[in-house]
Amino acid sequence: MYTKNLCIYSDSVNELLARYGVKFGIYKDNTFHEQLFPFDMIPRVISAEEFAYIERGLKQRIKALNLFIEDIYHNKRIIHDKIIPEEFVYAGSGYLAQCEGVSPPRGIYTHIAGIDLVQAKDGTWYILEDNLRIPSGASYPMIARDLCRKCSPQTFRDNHLEDNRNYAKLLRKTFDYVNTEGHTVILTPGRYNAAYFEHSYLAEQTGAHLVNGHELTVEDDKLYFVDFSGKKERVGVVYRRISDEYLDPMNFKEESLIGIPHIYDVYRKGNVALINAPGNGVADDKGIYYFVPKMINYYLGEEAVLKNAPTYLPYYQEDLEYVLMHFDDLVIKDVAEAGGYGVFFGNKLENKAKESFKELIKAEPRRFIAQEVIDFRDIDIMEHGEFVPRKADLRAFVLMAEEPMVWKSGLTRFSRNPDSFIVNSSQGGGFKDTWVLSR
Amino acid sequence: MGIISLKHTDQLYWLGRYSERVYTTLKLFAEKYDSMIDLNEAEYEDFCKKQDIPNIYSSSEDFAKRYCFDENDTNSIISNLTRAYDNAVVLREEIGSTTLSYIQLAVYAMNKAKLSEAPLLELQHVRDNIVAFWGIVDDSIDDEHVRSIIKLGKRIERVDLFARMHMDRSELKREILKLNRRIDRTGLTYSAKRMAHINYLIEEDDLNYKELVGEIEALLL
Repeated sequence: MYTKNLCIYSDSVNELLARYGVKFGIYKDNTFHEQLFPFDMIPRVISAEEFAYIERGLKQRIKALNLFIEDIYHNKRIIHDKIIPEEFVYAGSGYLAQCEGVSPPRGIYTHIAGIDLVQAKDGTWYILEDNLRIPSGASYPMIARDLCRKCSPQTFRDNHLEDNRNYAKLLRKTFDYVNTEGHTVILTPGRYNAAYFEHSYLAEQTGAHLVNGHELTVEDDKLYFVDFSGKKERVGVVYRRISDEYLDPMNFKEESLIGIPHIYDVYRKGNVALINAPGNGVADDKGIYYFVPKMINYYLGEEAVLKNAPTYLPYYQEDLEYVLMHFDDLVIKDVAEAGGYGVFFGNKLENKAKESFKELIKAEPRRFIAQEVIDFRDIDIMEHGEFVPRKADLRAFVLMAEEPMVWKSGLTRFSRNPDSFIVNSSQGGGFKDTWVLSR
Repeated sequence: MGIISLKHTDQLYWLGRYSERVYTTLKLFAEKYDSMIDLNEAEYEDFCKKQDIPNIYSSSEDFAKRYCFDENDTNSIISNLTRAYDNAVVLREEIGSTTLSYIQLAVYAMNKAKLSEAPLLELQHVRDNIVAFWGIVDDSIDDEHVRSIIKLGKRIERVDLFARMHMDRSELKREILKLNRRIDRTGLTYSAKRMAHINYLIEEDDLNYKELVGEIEALLL
């Protein structure tokens, strides 16, 4: 109904995406390959009312997660009050002892959050995962929308949508709110990073400078960008697209060649904002996910608006027993893995593998979570000119300035394989635009 | 003028040089290839000598194929286009997605030409996209500094190639005049003494092409 005129331009839009270099990188057999990210013209459509509900839930969740990170690195009330067992906090790889007692500019940790949701067949939205470190993907629907509007203006005249091309403005607002007086830079590990297109595109769209680590230097507890003549210009915000451990060889992994020595000391003194804040991994660990509704209740005194997928922690004896008994009905996730890796469907394992997996869970209960398999609502994609149903998720983006701001769109990723629930681009998935109706 | 790092300055300059190298060598190749069809099959030997690239080719057909499309030959046109792309792709926020897209289109056209039965026809699209790239550099890059560095790379490469190929004095003179107008707008450091010497060389009755190449290569400090 919405897309009749749009779908005929599928090839043209994908050609334009190729022209503008909308790609992602993957490593196969130790070799870097750039791949186009297949775009499906049929958008995911969310009504204004439904999105208002999602928005309310996302804002609530991000507020609580931000308070949680602040609490963990300062007073630890949530641990003292026994809401979350301390081993779930300190044993996770996302917890960084270096962040203890450090406060980011304006108290914001979760500047940009990518929250993955799925919609079940009964219409219920479930949160699948919180990504609070370096969530990527907003640039894809942003540029795709721009190209779709060029192909079929009538489609966008006939349908009243929220314009998603404001993402760069929201991002700029996020940067400016925490700027400690200086230039804004996007720190990239370089063009061989999987999300390099996004780094460069967001730099272009926000007017930030795209830099590598060696273009920044620390002097007198301040961070500087060194221009071609050797002149130094103060940097106030670093939207870093490299992970915590590689950010600063003097404070984290000393073998890092892509980080900036002492940048973390500058941050610790409040002289630069790092987006997102180091140490956020403590809150988006798959094990911590289980506790987010409890956090919402604890910090905000509210019930969670958006539900978690029904989750079990083998760490708790009762849950372990349930997991072992209902193994075939569950999806087991290794909390240390990401990108669709480390995900196992109980019923897809051979008997022998199943038994050894159960033993592994018993031996390392903290390492896994188990979730009920949510029967996602299928979304149509176009394949060889025909509509076929596929599994899809939604990555919603929440940016934080004075208040959380939910981007009225999102990255809808779908599996191209009819038998798969895995939607990640690195595993062959494609993407769609996400339309939020404005009325 | 925005701030710009040393690395980006270098990449802008080499983007200008490699895009020009692709354009002019394609143009020269097309002329030579035409002549090699039925006039002088060995003309590529002289071409390699003038360009100062090793003659690793066994025949005019081998030259046509490998000089254009062999990714393992560092002197091939496709290798130079890859280097232009490698510099362009890390400059999106300096030059803009639209400008970058013409280099991307040139890469696609080159890959298509490689598979074509009539590559000369397809290679025309590579040249068209490079020309469009230069047009959009002028049209859409507001920062004069950024624009001038790309164009300086282009000018230096052109003078270098024209001198190597012993092109007409009038053509070289025109390019050197443009180089003179451009170089001070880049903010880059260069040898004024060498620039003056280049201006002197082009006026000499007996034009010393080799010396001109040496001077142009050493112009930037």
